[in-house]
Amino acid sequence: MERAIEKSELFYQLLAEDADEKSLNWIRIQGEKIEKSGNSNSLFISFSQASRYFKKVSISLSEDAETKIHANYADLELSYWNLLQIARTYLVMKLPLEKETWFKTINQLFETGDLYEQQALFAALPVLPFQSELIPRAIDGLRTNISLVFDAIALNNPFPSIYFPEANLNQMVLKAIFMQRPLYRIQNLEKRRNPALAAIARDFAHERWAAGRDVMPELWRLVAPFVDESFQKDLEKVLATEDTLQMKAATLAIHESDFEPGKKVLNKYPEMIQGIQNGQISWESIGLEFQRARV
Amino acid sequence: MYIDPHIHVVSRTTDDYEAMRKAGIVAIIEPAFWLGQPRTEVGSFKDYFSTLVGWERFRASQFGIVHYCTMGLNSKEANNIPLAEQVMELLPLYVGKEGVVAIGEIGYDDQTEAEDRFYRLQLELAKEVDLPVLIHTPHRDKRKGTIRSMDVAEEHGLDPKMVIVDHNNEETVKEVLDRGYYAGFTIYPHTKMGSARMVEIVKQYGPERIIVNSAADWGISDPLAVPKTADLMRKSGIPEEHVRLTTYQNALTAFAQSGQMDEQDWLNAAPLDQTKKMSGNSVLRGGQTPRVEGSSDFVEN
Repeated sequence: MERAIEKSELFYQLLAEDADEKSLNWIRIQGEKIEKSGNSNSLFISFSQASRYFKKVSISLSEDAETKIHANYADLELSYWNLLQIARTYLVMKLPLEKETWFKTINQLFETGDLYEQQALFAALPVLPFQSELIPRAIDGLRTNISLVFDAIALNNPFPSIYFPEANLNQMVLKAIFMQRPLYRIQNLEKRRNPALAAIARDFAHERWAAGRDVMPELWRLVAPFVDESFQKDLEKVLATEDTLQMKAATLAIHESDFEPGKKVLNKYPEMIQGIQNGQISWESIGLEFQRARV
Repeated sequence: MYIDPHIHVVSRTTDDYEAMRKAGIVAIIEPAFWLGQPRTEVGSFKDYFSTLVGWERFRASQFGIVHYCTMGLNSKEANNIPLAEQVMELLPLYVGKEGVVAIGEIGYDDQTEAEDRFYRLQLELAKEVDLPVLIHTPHRDKRKGTIRSMDVAEEHGLDPKMVIVDHNNEETVKEVLDRGYYAGFTIYPHTKMGSARMVEIVKQYGPERIIVNSAADWGISDPLAVPKTADLMRKSGIPEEHVRLTTYQNALTAFAQSGQMDEQDWLNAAPLDQTKKMSGNSVLRGGQTPRVEGSSDFVEN
């Protein structure tokens, strides 16, 4: 447990790559105050005021720094973090690990946080101590309708895929679809696909179709491992939309599936199969293309 | 471009936000105030303050409006002393947050002893965190209350240029300006100022340190009061530069002293980003663009 404070140094190194000396001095002093006093007020104040010293700009993340981060946190994905998030994470990691006080302080931070403070806290879940006791906090956080905060938990964050029970993970993925968030950025989604989620995805697609609305193409990724006759019918319906992006998703799902009778239909789309084989068509490329067209 | 430096948007609809954006309002300041219904628990204040820096800021951003706020315990609720004491303990958690541009709105309502006590405590807090102060002047016994607010601010060593005295009228404006304060004017039907009176004040006193706002809230009020008053000023022959100062620049200059408000926040804002918008039970459905026409009988799918 003591390691959280030691590991804060990794985040200081990341700050040092991008921040000026004045800001680095400021945060060093704040960090020491939090660590030595164990006083929650010094964290509350510096956590807010960090925005005066660190901007919401992307971080350099040198290869060396990334290697060190991954040696300590295998799945941590920092490429979407901004400098201010790194600074706030550093400060939180300085909080002494006396459990009762720690939770009281952290709960207060979560409850009173502004948009960007919440973003920082939720994205930092994988590096906080007492991981398994933070699961309810993460699940509750997903009830937000603020996409910035939702994204901090659901996207490029290993926490849900490691800790969430199936039902909660499925709720998160469904809400991500509902909010049209990029599914390819949900970490370990591939591993956590399950028949219940495939069925939920199908029902959602049917509901959209009934309302005369489009279905987000990435949704079919959830179905791929579980294709049977009935899913096959839906996928062929997607192929019939004549919308290239939708068709890419349907061919990829059929291509990945184990439902042999369904594969015949692929013969009609040799150029799609070629795209899949040479890597031009992937779930990531489909998701990216969909998000680009949407903005 | 306009700034409405005093509006309680938690009480306003999405139609208002759309109309405000369409009328050219780029930034707003939401002062912490009372909600009509008196609060009885400190937790209600906590959630309200969190709303000001959280959900409401997000909601405004979906309409391309940059939202700032002020934090404070209002004078009416200062009279519930045990509650007010708890709110004072809560405030330090919020005053340092991003986009908090002043301590306010604070001051006097009935000019009671309790109001005086918490007004003074918050003036000290503003000095400590180096934020401007937004003063709410009372509806009743206004002139005396306004003068007393300034006397007390000076007693606590505040620099008048760090203080915005709000809800002025013809009876208070001269002394407020003469003493070096910013003078806010609220264009609010029946209880405060009408826009025609505002035009006369700008004609008489010029544009320096005069700030126009709507204070639109849950009462009969107008979220477009700032652009409407600007138009009336133009029609009445007030120079464009004076219109710009009183409906945009002076507010920016005053509240930017917080270090938390910067023109670049809206001039360089990312274009309305659909990926930041919400589907489902939120304010904009996925892919839907804000409606700018009047109402019709067609509801978008």
